[in-house]
Amino acid sequence: MSAITTTALVKEYPGGVRGVDGIDVTIEDGEFFALLGPSGCGKTTLLRSIAGLEAITEGTLHIGERDVTNAQPGERGVAMVFQDYALFPHMDVGDNIAYPLKIRKVGRTERRKTATGIANGLSLDGLIERRPGQLSGGQQQRVALARAVATRPEVLLLDEPLSNLDARLRLEARTFLKELQRDLGVTTVFVTHDQAEALALADRIAVMKSGKLQQLGTPREVFGRPLNTFVAGFIGSTPMNLVTTTVADGGVRVGTATVPLPATAEGKVADGAAVVWGARPEYLRWSREPVDGGIPAEVSVTENLGASVLVSAHSGDVRLQLVLGEDDEPSPGDTGWVVATARRSLLFDAATTELIG
Amino acid sequence: MTTITRTDELVRSVPQPTSSERGDRAVAGVSHTVLIIWSIVVIAPLLWTLLSSFKTSREIFASPFALPASWNFDNYVSAWTSAGIGNFFLNTVIVVTCALVIVMLLGAMCAYVLARFDFPGRRAIYYLMLAGLTFPVFLAIVPLFFVLRNVGLLNTLPGLIITYVAFALPFTVFFMYSFFRGLPDEIAEAAAIDGAGEWRTFFQVMLPMARPGMASVAIFNFLGLWNQFLLPVALNTNQDNWVLSQGMAGFASSAGYAVDFGSLFAAVVITVVPVLIVYIIFQRQLQGSVSQGTMK
Repeated sequence: MSAITTTALVKEYPGGVRGVDGIDVTIEDGEFFALLGPSGCGKTTLLRSIAGLEAITEGTLHIGERDVTNAQPGERGVAMVFQDYALFPHMDVGDNIAYPLKIRKVGRTERRKTATGIANGLSLDGLIERRPGQLSGGQQQRVALARAVATRPEVLLLDEPLSNLDARLRLEARTFLKELQRDLGVTTVFVTHDQAEALALADRIAVMKSGKLQQLGTPREVFGRPLNTFVAGFIGSTPMNLVTTTVADGGVRVGTATVPLPATAEGKVADGAAVVWGARPEYLRWSREPVDGGIPAEVSVTENLGASVLVSAHSGDVRLQLVLGEDDEPSPGDTGWVVATARRSLLFDAATTELIG
Repeated sequence: MTTITRTDELVRSVPQPTSSERGDRAVAGVSHTVLIIWSIVVIAPLLWTLLSSFKTSREIFASPFALPASWNFDNYVSAWTSAGIGNFFLNTVIVVTCALVIVMLLGAMCAYVLARFDFPGRRAIYYLMLAGLTFPVFLAIVPLFFVLRNVGLLNTLPGLIITYVAFALPFTVFFMYSFFRGLPDEIAEAAAIDGAGEWRTFFQVMLPMARPGMASVAIFNFLGLWNQFLLPVALNTNQDNWVLSQGMAGFASSAGYAVDFGSLFAAVVITVVPVLIVYIIFQRQLQGSVSQGTMK
């Protein structure tokens, strides 16, 4: 049992700045959990508080059944992989991996054997005698991972695990990391500012902003039904179209047209209510023929994304972005209709920014 | 000499055909000339001392620059035994080694704590250390004399060791402080998560990482302490406990013109050689520490 439970967790820095401001989260045993948010949102502070590297100001932290709010980092049964890996430059790979074992007074031959075993498992064969400085970034990261899992920790913490790798390696490492986590079944918390990484890796995501939790849910939930406009805008490779508008005639004014209310918002808003209409670029269609509920628009820019294309179209003074397949790519200057599926569009309260439906 | 190779590399690294090429060459030429002259100025007396250490006094007076009539170590033997240089050498090694070990250990620990822990009075202690760096030895001589006499350590090697430690500590702390500051926090945090306590983190992780800095401070301290003269003259007057610098001074002044110059030069060589050896072995380290400072 090694679930992580935080109760009203607060980390206040000298001067009254709250890095983490009252977070209540339960991370289940064996879960792959992402802390996601822009820089300065407190995600790293929360991770470091779990690790014991930041003293918790208020609230409690439990790992499994144990209250570890004030425990030393070494006593929490956690292991951590740092953003810059934090390998010991004066020790070879084997000693790096086995360092936690050394502290636990495991004999040298035994240590070396364990280290070699773990290293081979992480495809670091033959690098045991190298110094960290002689390894590539990807190898260094795997050494850091090896050191973290050497003691079979209850909890594995990863601080921006992929940010120091180049784009191609990052994808590879992502798959590798997910496999490793599945094999070990260890409760894993990782911090990232990259929403794609969080969506790809995590079982559940906690989206944070200014030290507060914005939404907690599965990747599908935070992507499909963001609880407020911040999450809506933050999640997604191309940001969600968010149009500030009003409800009129049982629909929503978007640009020069009125689109039907999202299915889930029906009956929850009255005419004249100030709302934010949201639709993901991936969920918008482009039609060259008039469509009922379509938004007439003119294409201004197209950006090639490889197999798809990002189209910016204007309807009145509203700009909408669509991701379209390469086959129905319009040209700049074309006019047509942007079609939103009622099932896939969302409505937020303009004042509170909360999701209406 | 090292500076010459440096300039050389610099000149070579400049892309070849530019308008400033001639100017660069002029600068290189002038600096080389100056450095060659400087090297001669430094090396010639050393060579002359070495040559003279193999001659008899009469040979030295008759032809100061001629080669010795016979190459033998008579002068060294007589300096080592009859002039007592052997004893002084041993004393110096004991005092400098002990002082060096203690000052490196204490200095590194002090600098580590000052650099990486936040506690009330931290800055005050650091600035006190810096103040120690500016404090002239001359001002401390008289109080030191009385303090050591009162605790019964006057004219003893331990007394001298403690004094050496006190005088070498500020520089050690000052230098290592910036070194420990420059080490990444994450490394110490990683050790903490692995379960290492403060002592273990210091000795197994942080101190080994600070090895380049430790080596350069150790060399600076070694050179300074080996050549220390004023402190032993004032605080260590018992001739059995003399260190080399005192022995040399005593040797040179003891007999006026009747002094055995051959042995005197041999004694000088004995005194200088350890310093030279240390310098030659560790000069890369010294260079490294200097350039390390500029890279950041």
